[in-house]
Amino acid sequence: MDPILEVRDLSISFGGLKAVDSVSFSMARGEILGLLGPNGAGKTTCFNMISGVLKPTGGTIVFDGRRTDGLPPHRMAELGVGRTFQIVRPFGALTVLENVCVALGGFRYRGFPLRASGFWLTRATLERGEEILAKVGLLDLKDARASSLPIGNLRRLEIGRALALKPKLLLLDECFSGLRHEEIVMIEELVRSIRDSGVSVLLIEHNMRVAMGLSHRVVVLDHGRKLAEGLPQQVASDPAVVEAYLGKGGVAVAP
Amino acid sequence: MNDYAVSVATIIAIQAIGALGLNVIVGYAGQISLGHAAFFGIGAYACAMLTTNGLSFWLALPVVLAISGSVGALLGLPSIRLKEDFLAITTIGINFIVEAIFLYTPFFGGALGIGGIPRVVFLGEKLKGVGFLWLCLAFLGASVLGCLWFRRSWLGLGCFAIREDETAAASMGIWPMKFKLSAFVVGAKLAALSGALYAHYMRFISPGDFGFPVSVMFLSMVVLGGMGTLWGPVVGAVVLGILPEVFRPIMEYRMLLYGALLLGMIRFQPGGLLGDQSLAMRVFRRLRLRGGD
Amino acid sequence: MQLFLEQLLNGLAIGAIYGLTTLGLALVYGILRILHVAHAGVYAVGAYVGLFAAQWTGSLLMGVLLAGAVSSLLGVAIERLVYFPLLKYPPYVPLIGSIAVFISLEELIRLVAGPEIRSFPAEIPLPALKLGVVTVSPPLLAVYLTTGLVLLSLWFVTTRTEFGLAMRAASQDMEVASSLGVNSHRVVSLTFVIGSFTAALAGVLVGVYYNQVYPSMGAVPAYKTLALIVVGGMGSVPGAVMASLLLGVAETLLIGYANVPLPRDALAFIAMILVLLVRPKGLFARRSR
Repeated sequence: MDPILEVRDLSISFGGLKAVDSVSFSMARGEILGLLGPNGAGKTTCFNMISGVLKPTGGTIVFDGRRTDGLPPHRMAELGVGRTFQIVRPFGALTVLENVCVALGGFRYRGFPLRASGFWLTRATLERGEEILAKVGLLDLKDARASSLPIGNLRRLEIGRALALKPKLLLLDECFSGLRHEEIVMIEELVRSIRDSGVSVLLIEHNMRVAMGLSHRVVVLDHGRKLAEGLPQQVASDPAVVEAYLGKGGVAVAP
Repeated sequence: MNDYAVSVATIIAIQAIGALGLNVIVGYAGQISLGHAAFFGIGAYACAMLTTNGLSFWLALPVVLAISGSVGALLGLPSIRLKEDFLAITTIGINFIVEAIFLYTPFFGGALGIGGIPRVVFLGEKLKGVGFLWLCLAFLGASVLGCLWFRRSWLGLGCFAIREDETAAASMGIWPMKFKLSAFVVGAKLAALSGALYAHYMRFISPGDFGFPVSVMFLSMVVLGGMGTLWGPVVGAVVLGILPEVFRPIMEYRMLLYGALLLGMIRFQPGGLLGDQSLAMRVFRRLRLRGGD
Repeated sequence: MQLFLEQLLNGLAIGAIYGLTTLGLALVYGILRILHVAHAGVYAVGAYVGLFAAQWTGSLLMGVLLAGAVSSLLGVAIERLVYFPLLKYPPYVPLIGSIAVFISLEELIRLVAGPEIRSFPAEIPLPALKLGVVTVSPPLLAVYLTTGLVLLSLWFVTTRTEFGLAMRAASQDMEVASSLGVNSHRVVSLTFVIGSFTAALAGVLVGVYYNQVYPSMGAVPAYKTLALIVVGGMGSVPGAVMASLLLGVAETLLIGYANVPLPRDALAFIAMILVLLVRPKGLFARRSR
């Protein structure tokens, strides 16, 4: 089966600094791939290139059989890539439900502006929005202002918004950080159910237990380069990976 | 209703339409625009030029709206690349340049402007006084309905999203350029409508009517009333339109009071009178709660 | 040739005055990221105080010093009463506040000092300098010397003193500077003092140079200086000064000498838009931004 995402020799430079250097990996459809590495390894930068926020200076990205490097974010969303952000970006003045409804615009956001002149405040849209909120456990907060929510709820809102796009690929950027234990368990379940519904998931995560537990395979980056790739247990005991995280002489990371 | 009250009301209605337009750009789409008077002036001049050359107001209006829509998209282009401060200064510059074009181009009458603008004819009658006021109020109502539609449409929702967080909005399929320019087009058209009515009310226009202070006035109305709200610009236009008349006895101090009012407003209630956290809204909510008991 | 050189000297003087005015704006933007439109109001107040003080004490120097003192106080007052409380809001809020302050200042001047144009006769204790075919008149010389002195002192303070270091640190990142022991708020206020003092100097110089002081004299500089800080690179003082000199010369030569039929005041904005198209960060933008 063809991969959902294929990244080949992906590179980006800022001024003289090569933030990502010839990174290649591919992702099978329906798998959960963990993108790991110490801080500053270039993980979020890779996300930004895949979702279109940044333009790579080298290499190619093939998504769902089509070359997408250099396409802008709104095109990537159209093509089926949904993402969350490392530092949450809610639409503060809008309610939780409205935040999700924004993502339900779909085809109406494309083409001539006149297509977007229909009303969004319809029963159908609201129902779909509420469905998604129920899935992420935020239904009872649907009329709350997004700016009033604590971080845990905001992370769930981000996932909800990305889901509303009906994506084929979901990019989760550290969506577990800042959460309480019960919330982590709940989101883990949510991610598994998202995958079960056929969505491929690429996730960046610092919480090792969660990352190793959820991912089918992992890719490790360090200083912009790929360090290792494979099954979680393999990679965890790879000495180069351990050194990157803990320095020389460190203990292997338990999966 | 005496003539004086009618003229004040007419000017308020005309300015409210312009303020509603600015609110679409600044309040709905979050793009700072300090050159709104340019759109207002383009509408006024375009309409005046057409009607002083024989075209009826009603035939001229669609042409004016079409022109201003295109100009709006053109002058809205800087908002795609520039943010905040750069955009603010560029819009001020656009205001000055457009004013200079009106001032120095003989085609537009130069410093003398355009005079002898005919009255609007409706059902065979020349509208003036109360009749013209009704016309302006009708257009104001239509403008409010237009804004209501905008807020309820996907176009408006997309603009709100861009205002809150442009990157997140883009990641949801919203192409910032398209939506920002749409906001500018709608805002420019409303301003042009306001300008056309202004030209036919004053029946004489000159470049000085469309300078930077007028842009500041529109922005003040939007801010005072509550940026991003539906009725805010209208409330702002009413307050800023009535206040100078209330203080007419102390004519000398009008501008100072205007400046002081604006300063006080922005310093203590930046959200405007209809903004969520404003004193007025909090009192209003408390009164409603009490009434419900 | 002589006419050209004379116009060049004029242009440089005008540019120097623009530079003195824009300097304060650039300093304030550099440290607070606020467009201090009210700066032009401070400038006008400086001109009037300078005029009245000079007439009252009979000494131009006293006039300048008092103008500087009053303007500095005014500048700091604006910073503390209007800008500081509004920093937490989106940038258009302090901008509108600044415009409101400017309108109020203009009106106050008009109400207190009267709407008429006043003349500013002054004895400039400098000689006329003869340079080949052209003569540098005392007013021109005064402008050059003052600007040179101000720029030199500013350069010295910024690069050689502890305060200058604190100022540069605070304008890069105020929070980090604070955590390193810099009293950021005091640095901000002192920046306003410096900026407002130079604005007052500019106001007095303009009054003397053109022999005119009137309530709305700040209106044109208010907007022109905005265009100038964009062209120079937001927050860059050397950039602002260079841009000012270039504009002064361009305005005078293009319109005074070559008689190009462009509106003088719109030239600044036209130049700004052209520069933005070619170099979106301004001509001399700071690398770190």
